[in-house]
Amino acid sequence: MRQILKEYTYTPATIQRGYSGKSLYLNVSDLRMEEKVVTEFMKEKFIGGKGFDLWYLWQAVTPETRWDSPENEIVMSVGPLGGITQYSGTGKTLVCAISPMTGIPIDSNAGGYFGPLLKFSGWDALELQGKTEKELVIFIDGNKGLIQFCDAEGLPEDSHLLAEELTRNYAESEEDQVNVSVVSSGSAARNILYGMLNFSFYDPRRKVVRFKQAARGGLGTIMLDKGIKALVVRYKGIKGNTNNPADVATLNRIGVKYHKEMHDLDEKQNGMRKIGTANTILVMNQYDLLPTRNFQTGGDPAAVNISPKVFIEQYLTQGIHDGCWYGCTMSCAKTADHFRLLTGPYAGACVTVDGPEYECVAGLGSNLGIFDPRAILEENFYCDTYGVDLISFATTVAFIMECYQRGQISREQMGGLDLAFGNSDAVLELLHQMARGEGFGPIAGLGIRRLKKLFAEQFGSDPALLQDIGMENKGLEYSEYCHKESLAQQGGFALTNKGPQHDEAWLIFMDMVNNQIPTFEDKAYALYYYPMFRTWFGLCGLCKLPWNDIVPADNYKTETPAKVPEHVQNYVDIFNAVTGKSIDKEELILQSERVYQFQRVFNIRMGKGLREHDYAPYRSLGPVSSEEYLSRQELYDRQLREKQGLDPAAMSLDEKIATTRAYREQQFELLMDAVYKRRGWTENGVPKPEHLREIGMDLPMLLEVIEPHL
Amino acid sequence: MKILVHKQELCTGCRACEVACSTAYFKTPDRNKSAIRIINNDNSFHARKCTQCGECIDMCTAHAIYRDKNGVVRIDKKLCVGCLGCVGYCSELVMFYDDDLTEPFKCIACNICVKACPENALEVLVSKAG
Amino acid sequence: MITVNTREQAYQAGMTVRDLLDRNQFTFRHIIVRVNGEYVPEEQYDKAPVRDGDDVLVLHLMAGG
Repeated sequence: MRQILKEYTYTPATIQRGYSGKSLYLNVSDLRMEEKVVTEFMKEKFIGGKGFDLWYLWQAVTPETRWDSPENEIVMSVGPLGGITQYSGTGKTLVCAISPMTGIPIDSNAGGYFGPLLKFSGWDALELQGKTEKELVIFIDGNKGLIQFCDAEGLPEDSHLLAEELTRNYAESEEDQVNVSVVSSGSAARNILYGMLNFSFYDPRRKVVRFKQAARGGLGTIMLDKGIKALVVRYKGIKGNTNNPADVATLNRIGVKYHKEMHDLDEKQNGMRKIGTANTILVMNQYDLLPTRNFQTGGDPAAVNISPKVFIEQYLTQGIHDGCWYGCTMSCAKTADHFRLLTGPYAGACVTVDGPEYECVAGLGSNLGIFDPRAILEENFYCDTYGVDLISFATTVAFIMECYQRGQISREQMGGLDLAFGNSDAVLELLHQMARGEGFGPIAGLGIRRLKKLFAEQFGSDPALLQDIGMENKGLEYSEYCHKESLAQQGGFALTNKGPQHDEAWLIFMDMVNNQIPTFEDKAYALYYYPMFRTWFGLCGLCKLPWNDIVPADNYKTETPAKVPEHVQNYVDIFNAVTGKSIDKEELILQSERVYQFQRVFNIRMGKGLREHDYAPYRSLGPVSSEEYLSRQELYDRQLREKQGLDPAAMSLDEKIATTRAYREQQFELLMDAVYKRRGWTENGVPKPEHLREIGMDLPMLLEVIEPHL
Repeated sequence: MKILVHKQELCTGCRACEVACSTAYFKTPDRNKSAIRIINNDNSFHARKCTQCGECIDMCTAHAIYRDKNGVVRIDKKLCVGCLGCVGYCSELVMFYDDDLTEPFKCIACNICVKACPENALEVLVSKAG
Repeated sequence: MITVNTREQAYQAGMTVRDLLDRNQFTFRHIIVRVNGEYVPEEQYDKAPVRDGDDVLVLHLMAGG
């Protein structure tokens, strides 16, 4: 056992209708523990999960707080529905902090068992504040009512070893390992800004510790900077009524109905149980949406090499449960078992690779010009164990590769690494450099926003070109969709609270293929409804995938099949069944909007969150280079004719590119206007006081922040 | 492998089996807590009960379902988390649950209903396979 | 002329729903097809005719990520 530096005991609160009613505050500067009461006001206005996180984070920080300030907090919460077992996707922990990438709150969600076990240990939320030189492991035992700050000395750095050792250490027996969950990062997270957090769960079939990630925005970097090497929670005794719901019969009924739907329809629909989210790789390729070579194009014929079929037949274990929390019959958390590593410190070892998910295959694959499934899995493994957010990593490396391709940086400036598109050996070496803190690794670990400045200032690169091709907004790297032909999705990425992540809205098919939202008002409605609806998952501790990665057999008969009305009603019913409240689907949106607007004002408080921060790099909006224009010349020429009434035959290529750009940039401005109006914001993107009043969120603390901007 | 077999031609639909099953396991003569359910189709009676196919074993989200040494598929109640995934996943619709209980339940070919059947319409067969 | 997802396209004599899906490279499996508002089940794609002037909706059901 580890040396205990300080120990507290507590009486674990009983869960009532989804809430323990208590939250845990830990300060690592002075090894202090405090219990806080979760108030009715918090439950009413913020629900839980990301709502609780943001509420506590607001109290903890000031506008001057930076990511590495001691008062910056990592807050995590699972929400009132988190931890139920009857429905799929109910174990998500939401994590917030002031991000090193953006300087504003990041919110990131992860599966794995930590959040539910934390709540059942008596804590609706956990705040981690302070900073310590002496690295710690924090252990919470929810059965014994014990909190320990322990010395982390002698523990391995990387997650696959660290979490395995801690799980074994803190479990009371081999069978007890399923009752332990670890939050950890890895060696690279010390040297880069986009270090992530791994949330573990023990897989009794494979007998390995597995991970899901709270990946975005540098949470792992913050945790290690605070001196916290790992969090460990242990709680034994999960049942269908541990969350003490108001109406377990309804939970059972809806859960069984949903499991049956998965059983009957998944194979005909998305095949989530076979391949998980990577089922869409070829679809994206065929619809010109698979980001390729830094989003220059939307696909490549070589994408067949990284198709679902290849992963299913050659790598992914089939036919056994793969959920990241109990009761998830969607079971999309796939693994490549007995995968032999070829590079790095663990070369030769046989490991279990969690994934690959869609973002991984698209990001570490096509977007880097890599179409080798083995290399993608190796990159996937090292990103995970080193604690690297693979989306920020992939998009940053794609940017570096294009800078190199276009002669904006040289091989020497990259420390000799030949980061050419398709060179997976160089990408892996870059990852190992990040882990060792050597060479070009820590530089690439700064992320695109800082690299644009650095390349321009130190390497003489062209700042305008870098601005166009650097796929970041608010300082966060874009996730992996080539979306430049969907105006709505351009907004779906850039007009977000935390930065360009697709978890607020994914409107590409609805907009670009189905043409269901042709007007600005239509698009603005979609950019109101979907971000609000999807925010709700984060308030409640839920995963978004079970909402629409399977749909009822008669969904096509509904007025709004894209919303999946029956599943929306499931969520309303589950919420009421757990909490004993009686919300409807309109109140659900309102619950979300309160937190969404709170987060927008929080951004403003931190010096961002205005119109100027919502602009997208031109690569997101249209063709930057002549190659890009020519790759879809027919489409772009037709748009010049149809949308602008011009004759492309009479124009030079440069003129066509420039005219297309002026048009598209103007369209984006008009989209912003429409969306701001629909969201109740001023033209500058500031939530209006009257709108906040309307939704019951006119808190003095918010009005005070927006007042100078009105 | 042990499996409960129902002889449709002998069954009169008296439901003594349901009473015996729920009484033995849940101390109540409640059909909703019986692992065998007699269904009346126009006075022809068939029985819904587990075929011991084992489809639920690999999909169990808590690794709580296993096949015992007699080939009978069983639920380890200590490990079961009550997600009811197996209920939704049972192609035969013979994994049952009840809101009063924290775990689902199923036929384990225990012979109790066989003894209770006045018409000898039930039998537990033991085959060597499995 | 026919319209596909509210955009005009050329009509081709004798075309079926399948022909229309192929022509547009609508390879995504999870779609809903409606011709003049009438739902066409997947089993009928090969036979269901598309006539001149028809209004076809091919709704791709993915709201992703």
